Amino acid sequence: MSELKSFSMNRASDKLSLENEDIAIEVKDWNLYYGSKQALTGVNMQLPRNRVTAFIGPSGCGKSTLLRCFNRMNDLIDSVSVEGTILLDNEDVYLKSMDVSALRRRVGMVFQKPNPFPKSIFENVCYGLRLQNIKNKQLLNETVEWALRGANLWDEVKDRLDDNALSLSGGQQQRLCIARAIAIKPEVLLLDEPTSALDPISTLAVEELIFELKKEFTILIVTHNMQQAARVSDYTAFMYMGDLVEYTDTDTLFTNPKLKQTEDYISGRYG
Amino acid sequence: MKSWFNKGEHWIWFSASAVSVSLVLVFGLLAMIAYKGLLHFWPHNVHDYQVTNANGQVEQVVGELHKTKLKLVADENDPTIVHEVPEYLIKTGNRDIYGIDFKWVNSRDLNEESVTIADNITVIERYQWGNVYGYFESLTVNGKTIATGTDIESVLDDLADKGNALHEKIHHIEKTVMGRINYQIESLRLDQKKLELKGEYDAQTESEFETQRAVLNQEFVELQASMQALHDEADSLGEVTLTIAGNQKITVKIKQVVRFWQPNNMSLLSKVGFFFGSIGNFLTEDPREANTEGGVFPAIVGTVTMVLLMTILVTPMGVLAAIYMSEYAKNGPLLRLVRISINNLAGVPSIVFGIFGLGFFVYVLGGSIDDLFYGYAAPNPVFGTPGLLWASLTMALLTLPVVIVSTQEGLSRIPRSLREGGLALGATKFETITRIVLPMATPAIMTGLILAIARAAGEVAPLMLVGVVKLAPALPVDFNAPFIHLENKFMHLGFHIYDVGFQSPNVEASQPLVYATSLLLVVIIVSLNLGAIMIRNRLRERYKSLGN
Repeated sequence: MSELKSFSMNRASDKLSLENEDIAIEVKDWNLYYGSKQALTGVNMQLPRNRVTAFIGPSGCGKSTLLRCFNRMNDLIDSVSVEGTILLDNEDVYLKSMDVSALRRRVGMVFQKPNPFPKSIFENVCYGLRLQNIKNKQLLNETVEWALRGANLWDEVKDRLDDNALSLSGGQQQRLCIARAIAIKPEVLLLDEPTSALDPISTLAVEELIFELKKEFTILIVTHNMQQAARVSDYTAFMYMGDLVEYTDTDTLFTNPKLKQTEDYISGRYG
Repeated sequence: MKSWFNKGEHWIWFSASAVSVSLVLVFGLLAMIAYKGLLHFWPHNVHDYQVTNANGQVEQVVGELHKTKLKLVADENDPTIVHEVPEYLIKTGNRDIYGIDFKWVNSRDLNEESVTIADNITVIERYQWGNVYGYFESLTVNGKTIATGTDIESVLDDLADKGNALHEKIHHIEKTVMGRINYQIESLRLDQKKLELKGEYDAQTESEFETQRAVLNQEFVELQASMQALHDEADSLGEVTLTIAGNQKITVKIKQVVRFWQPNNMSLLSKVGFFFGSIGNFLTEDPREANTEGGVFPAIVGTVTMVLLMTILVTPMGVLAAIYMSEYAKNGPLLRLVRISINNLAGVPSIVFGIFGLGFFVYVLGGSIDDLFYGYAAPNPVFGTPGLLWASLTMALLTLPVVIVSTQEGLSRIPRSLREGGLALGATKFETITRIVLPMATPAIMTGLILAIARAAGEVAPLMLVGVVKLAPALPVDFNAPFIHLENKFMHLGFHIYDVGFQSPNVEASQPLVYATSLLLVVIIVSLNLGAIMIRNRLRERYKSLGN
């Protein structure tokens, strides 16, 4: 915890600014509709590489929906239609010719509720690798260890990799899902309220993990918990009713928001 | 009392009593079948009765008490009074002498005091003509008397064993060895016809075929000779003469003896041994005497083979249909219509499936297969006639709705989050279904199969149309390649029950067999289901903690 605190103090001194960042994802004039109902309105934003960007806002503001656009999870819902462009490394994500499976290998995702497969811990982590037909036993073993270490879970499960993943606790399961997501070495990691189902200790473990992971991945996190956003993120986007209201570096957003709407929300006056 | 009603206690009592009534009915039924079925195998005491017949003469009747019935008889003096007079059905056996196995005896004609359980009454089970009840007289081999009276027992024991061994050998040659040769000769004939149709049958192949045929014919002739030798040997075992009721004599060839016992002399322990021996014979022997005696082995094999084949056919069909409907098909009025139709299909009377199976599978499909591939066998149909494949396919169709519905339910119960988890890792929809969703739905699929097995194993009506026969000449599985003969007709326990119980020439004799066969059918269905349930529980265990 102290490490985190000192980190945020450090950060305050050299102020982050989007202009100086390497941009990984660019969203241009993004609109999304559920049937005839518009859920996202004209979102424009640039998401920096190897940073943690948090999305906050009241329930139903579209932050999860936006997150699911980056790996096209919204495709699963029949009624969804979209307008605009999302560029991942200057490649249009929503291009017809885009291989969605390949995209999802580049943009990993961890969900709100831990969803390990009813298989062994080992099989859970190497699931994505097996999908790519990797059969080299040594490579699999190494990757599983790397991913579990990366997810801060290795020490707890190294002796029981063949146990069913469902025998783990909720927090361990969520870290297992993170290990599963990073095992295929994506460029971007989407975290959709990853700690909402966890107790404070597990939450802390996951937050520390996020801090570690941003060295290698671009992380986008949706959270309801504003302290969490303040703790873990470099940039924060406040969304309301499908609009991107304010988007800037985390310190500025929480200490000196430009808009009254943002201030009201972060000070708890609504939402 | 009022508060008792207000609390709704009476509803709890109603539902509890409904459960109890159902349980009592089910267990009562099972207990009755089990009791009556198992009683058939018990060595009953044989009584010696003195009965006054219609001419006023006293007559001796020897046999097992089979059944008691109360007969209503009007009083001789006052017709308004009705007496209940017990009547006894006695199994007297000796069908070749008396013409029938059973005799009704009115208790009024019976000298109750004269009824004895006489020692040394012997029962002989024969390969033909049913049981013999009588007292040993003499045993002769080649015209010489070897033993008389009570000495016969031990001598006959040895000789009967020899006779049974010979019988076994003859049976083996007849069914297995000769069956194989017949099968080979038939395939040779068909091969030849095939070549003739193609126009490739020339002098050289003809001579090849002739040599092969000559070899097989030679083998056949040799087998016939050895069979004749065995028959002669069996004939020379001798014969045993018994005195039967009415001071008549009956002579039984020893080769006819299946086994013999003296129930009145047997201790409880030997009776129990006999009981289990009878059950063993029932399970492993072929039926005899128009199915009214002997075992039900071919029917067991037929039932189990049909059910397993049905399972193999229905699983992929049902599971694939369910996957398409719940994972790929667009939700809309058409899908709803299909769903409703499938649910209704489960309610269609089974005989309708039988008629469809006969009309479509046997005549249309089977006929076309014969036209296309078995032209050389014409005019004999191969698949264009009822058989194992068509019966299994009809049963698969009959049980398809159950499998589809339970698979669909299983698929819909897999949480969305797991599918998303798979997709988010770069799996295609197909990969997610095959690697995550389907394995997790296997317990539900097993539930469907359990229901399907129970339904298919117990079904009779449609099977009568598409492949089940009273007496099949050969088993559907044997040691001739390809080991399972899909075109063969087969026997089935359900049909066996119907046939023995209601189509048999000897209803009284076969009645206990009906119970025994019913019990066996229940046991087989239960064990098939238990097997499936065990597999399902193991699968469930694996996915147990998924709910939270």
